[in-house]
Amino acid sequence: MLLSMLKIGAVIPGLVLLLGLTSCGITIPQDPEGTLEKVSGGILRVGVSENAQWVQLPPTGDPQGIEPELVEEFADTLDAAIVWVPGAEHELAGDLFHGELDMAIGGFGADTPWVKEAGITRPYTETADERGKTIKHIMLVPLGENAFLLELDQFLQAQELEL
Amino acid sequence: MSTTGEKNTARFGHTELPEEQQRALRKAIKWEWITIGFLVVSTFLVYLVLGNSQAMKAAWIEDLLSFLPPISFLIATRVIRRRPSESHPYGYHRAVGVAHLVAAVALVVMGAYLIVDSGIGLFTAEHPTIGGITLLGSTFWLGWLMVLAMLLTAGPPVVLGIVKMKLARTLHDKVLYADADMNKADWMTALSAAVGVLGIGVGLWWADSVAALLISTSILRDGIKNLRGAVGGLTDTRARTYDDSEPDPVGERIDSYLRSLGWVREARSRVRDEGHVFHIESFVVPRTWPRATLRRIEKARDACVEMDWKVQDMVIVPVAELPEEFLPGVAKGGSEYR
Repeated sequence: MLLSMLKIGAVIPGLVLLLGLTSCGITIPQDPEGTLEKVSGGILRVGVSENAQWVQLPPTGDPQGIEPELVEEFADTLDAAIVWVPGAEHELAGDLFHGELDMAIGGFGADTPWVKEAGITRPYTETADERGKTIKHIMLVPLGENAFLLELDQFLQAQELEL
Repeated sequence: MSTTGEKNTARFGHTELPEEQQRALRKAIKWEWITIGFLVVSTFLVYLVLGNSQAMKAAWIEDLLSFLPPISFLIATRVIRRRPSESHPYGYHRAVGVAHLVAAVALVVMGAYLIVDSGIGLFTAEHPTIGGITLLGSTFWLGWLMVLAMLLTAGPPVVLGIVKMKLARTLHDKVLYADADMNKADWMTALSAAVGVLGIGVGLWWADSVAALLISTSILRDGIKNLRGAVGGLTDTRARTYDDSEPDPVGERIDSYLRSLGWVREARSRVRDEGHVFHIESFVVPRTWPRATLRRIEKARDACVEMDWKVQDMVIVPVAELPEEFLPGVAKGGSEYR
């Protein structure tokens, strides 16, 4: 009796999951809006907001700094061309929310207030601000585009940053 | 009121429980501690992988709420052990009902809150964001950990529920019953959350909110069911069986026993549930011959108390005719049990 109930508790979910997975035959996670697919071999739209050594916007030419360099490398892995879109943080967050950007950088911390508008990556490095408070650095991505996010997470986590 | 003085002082507190109930109580206490231990582990585990999934959040909150019934039970079993005192002549049995009510209200409030929260998520088309997690040097999708956590925590509550259900029956304990009932259904919560997360995985953003809605609906349903039971108990509903499925047969047995006595012409009782034990007032219309002597009344009372351990706080009231104001329905003719 106990054993049979145990089995129902563990086996039925397992079966349903297995069935679901095999019948789909697709990789998990997927993007509801297909960001990773669109970007790969296509165009990566990156919002940039100036922030100290993380993102610098010279008057002419491409953005400079730690994060633009990372993004360029990331775009290479996807064979994507980058379109830089400068803007204030809230503009970038709004663009992400409405699907007009694929990601945004600006030396953002994990305590960013834009979590209703955008998803965040895992922290890829930590620094301390002038008051000694730890900043966990993240990038912003569109909400729910989990395949793209995982791709970026995997790229960022594999980086050895020298700050 | 006719009561047998000696027995009055010794009838409360668990030391007076029959052997079977004492054993069940000890087991129930042990299993509630095991439940709490399991919940500590599972809530911590799920908390670690909570992420942005609404379904996971709902499942986690349900886990947190699952602490309430075992804690209420453990507190209540301590409180009702106290003997009746001058200020509490009926004893402390109602503590069970209070504990039950508190747990039920928490379930209702959280269930309603989660329904609104998940509904808003669904309505505003919130796309849950779940990224990678780095463990042992490799970065993989956090959703897999969520599913794993849900599968790991799905089985044990079912076992706990089945064990406690049996004890609830023996102890006539409705808090324990409600707890066991919730545990038994817990695997569905875990399954729903896992399916919700996998739904996110295959790109169905709404699967998460829908799973969360299912889970919160089940929390709310549990809450309403318990609230009804708890309020019913506290407002002196006629005593029902431990699972509220039917009126407890003890009332009928007492009535038919009393009616079978030679000196009794008519008998009817009203029975209310104090938590574990019953308060019973049996109104008896004696015949003119044989007479209702004190001795006969006391003997009848003793026999009733012997019938069932729940029957201890019982009084037999000799009356000239069955009082309509205390026994609603008596004028319609005959017993409510007939």
